[in-house]
Amino acid sequence: MMQEENLQKEEKKSSYELFFDIPVGPQHPALKEPAFFKFKVEGEKVTGVDVDVSYNHRGIEKALEQRNYIQNIYLIERICGICNVAHTLCYAQAVEQLYGKEIPTRANYIRLLIEELARIHSHMLWLGVAAHEIGFDTLFMYVWRDREVVMDLIEMLTGNRVTTAINTIGGVRRDISDEAKDKVKKGMNILEERLKYYRKVALNDPTVNARCSGVGILKPRDAIKLCAVGPTLRASGIKNDVRKDDSYALHDEVPFNVITYDTMDVLARVLVRVDETLESVNMVKYCLDHMPSGDVRIKLPLSPPVGEAVSRVEAPRGELIHYVRSNGTKNPERYKVRTPTFGNIPSVCEMLTSKGDYEVNIADIPIVLASIDPCFSCTARMEFRDVSKDKTWIWSLEELKAYCKRQGSL
Amino acid sequence: MNLLLELLQILFFPGILFALLLAFIYEWLDRKIYAKLQNRVGPLYTGPNGILQPFADFIKLLAKEDIVPDETDKPLFNALPIVALTLSLTGFLVLPIIDLRGIISFNGDLIFLIALMTLICIVIIYAGISSSNRFSTVGAERAALQLLGYEIPMMLSAASIGILANSMWVYNIVSVQVNTVWFLVGPGILGFAIFILCGQAELERIPFDIPEAETEIVAGWLTEFSGRKLALFRLTRDVELLYLSGLAVALFLGGPSGPIISGLEPVLYPIYFLLKTFFVLFLLTTLRALFARLRIDQMVNFSWKYLVPIAILQVLLVRVIV
Repeated sequence: MMQEENLQKEEKKSSYELFFDIPVGPQHPALKEPAFFKFKVEGEKVTGVDVDVSYNHRGIEKALEQRNYIQNIYLIERICGICNVAHTLCYAQAVEQLYGKEIPTRANYIRLLIEELARIHSHMLWLGVAAHEIGFDTLFMYVWRDREVVMDLIEMLTGNRVTTAINTIGGVRRDISDEAKDKVKKGMNILEERLKYYRKVALNDPTVNARCSGVGILKPRDAIKLCAVGPTLRASGIKNDVRKDDSYALHDEVPFNVITYDTMDVLARVLVRVDETLESVNMVKYCLDHMPSGDVRIKLPLSPPVGEAVSRVEAPRGELIHYVRSNGTKNPERYKVRTPTFGNIPSVCEMLTSKGDYEVNIADIPIVLASIDPCFSCTARMEFRDVSKDKTWIWSLEELKAYCKRQGSL
Repeated sequence: MNLLLELLQILFFPGILFALLLAFIYEWLDRKIYAKLQNRVGPLYTGPNGILQPFADFIKLLAKEDIVPDETDKPLFNALPIVALTLSLTGFLVLPIIDLRGIISFNGDLIFLIALMTLICIVIIYAGISSSNRFSTVGAERAALQLLGYEIPMMLSAASIGILANSMWVYNIVSVQVNTVWFLVGPGILGFAIFILCGQAELERIPFDIPEAETEIVAGWLTEFSGRKLALFRLTRDVELLYLSGLAVALFLGGPSGPIISGLEPVLYPIYFLLKTFFVLFLLTTLRALFARLRIDQMVNFSWKYLVPIAILQVLLVRVIV
């Protein structure tokens, strides 16, 4: 009996040495926000991953239903700090669809301008974070220093560095003066030069290449199957960009290229983002040159007519979808947000699983995770869990309503 | 009388107290240069230009709560920080600073110095394993693999210097350089490059900070250490940095020698020592700012594909010359 126990103990011990779980999160230096990844590792090799993103459920969709459309602009903005412009733009477009009104051309130009400035700032922030994940702190510091250029421009144009509060229903809240235009142009020239330099660094630095190329492979077929979005999808060689495919805010008038790379790895994602930033710089310059004069805002009544609308925007992280349903009152009846990170979670799990020749090391985890530019606070979803039965399920709205009714009648 | 003098030397100058003081200043210099290279200001507020910051950090850590998790191997866990610091300080005593020989000096002490470095690494491996933490275990595993990578080229480069000086005694190595030229200038240049690179790996600094890679495994083998223990480990790192720079100076840059006014040797030798170690520190810090972190397999690969052959080449070269 004793021997058997000992034997069992030994067996347990040896299997522990071979395989064990490495928890990454909810708090981990590689993650800027709470999320939980459980990695099964064998030595340095990752063999499986389990993910939980629901650490930060803020109930924003419910809160949106209790505020009016103007108040909601400011709540929507706070879904995500970095892509706040994309969120407000998406929201404003959805609500304007409800009214069935077109906004002035100049307002559209300003929206596009700020959107692209925000993309520059987001991509540069990401580049710095990615450099930090592979331990290249010098690049991190340099990129973030240069990012200040665009932050200052955003502050000058909108009044705030990050949370811009520029988009509103029916247009934008501030006009752009001619002096401001000159400053933006100057800033763009500096950024263009710096970005070209960073492109060279990404392509030529041996250690960056050693850490990024061939890591975090996502094949085009998997990318489509797992509904990857944004730069993650484009780095797998698929030409897909909401700005081109379903143009909004004058993206059909302002010329730009959809950047794709076909190496499918982290390096491709770095290069896609750097090149996209360069495209954005050109778009900003184009906007400044071709902006017509005129109003920047139309006044709309507080309550939109009954109806529903869907709006799509290419946020820096990928396709962002907002859905709104109005019942004619001053508050929306239902609001739904689908953020790009949520769409990319299945893909990142695919990238992090070793298969055949493709091997993922523990050392690759942070950079591969970062390569989708995750923003977990937007991804929380609710599910129900019966602890005693160890069962998890998700209810649709109707089921939830039925459950509430049952509870009410008890 | 002689015994008392030696005791004072060991305790104060150029012994333990001097080493600790210098270690804090060199950490500050390291941080300051690193910051400058990254376009930052670095430590600024504690003392003039932030010079007291490393010391303040040390005091702060001493005051912090010292947590010993239940699962750890307690005797090992408690003893290792002290052992590590003792080992690095012992190494410092062998280095020539105020004289062409160290306070402790004996025939074959070069082997002892190299062995001390390996011992510190083994302490690190034990520290990781005794923590019983997943991140620490991975960190210890990596430290062991890294040791396999850098130890042999480092030994070979030291051996080539031994062949040049025809002795494994640091005193002889330094005196040969005083009488002829620094080994760095002559055939030792390859060995110096290898020694600096391997030193970077020994000190676990970028691009070889793999065992404590922050974004990957939190703090690696250091994860469970807190309070006093963490303070001691960090101090060990600083002393080790100093010790490694000092060893590089003794082997390749002619130790504390330089133009001498007779009678002033005890003053001039430490000054030369400081200048030369600062040069080595500058190299080490610049390396730290230039690269991304390698993966452990890439590190071992790099070491066996490039460093070991070059180190062997260096030994052959030296053998032909001598």
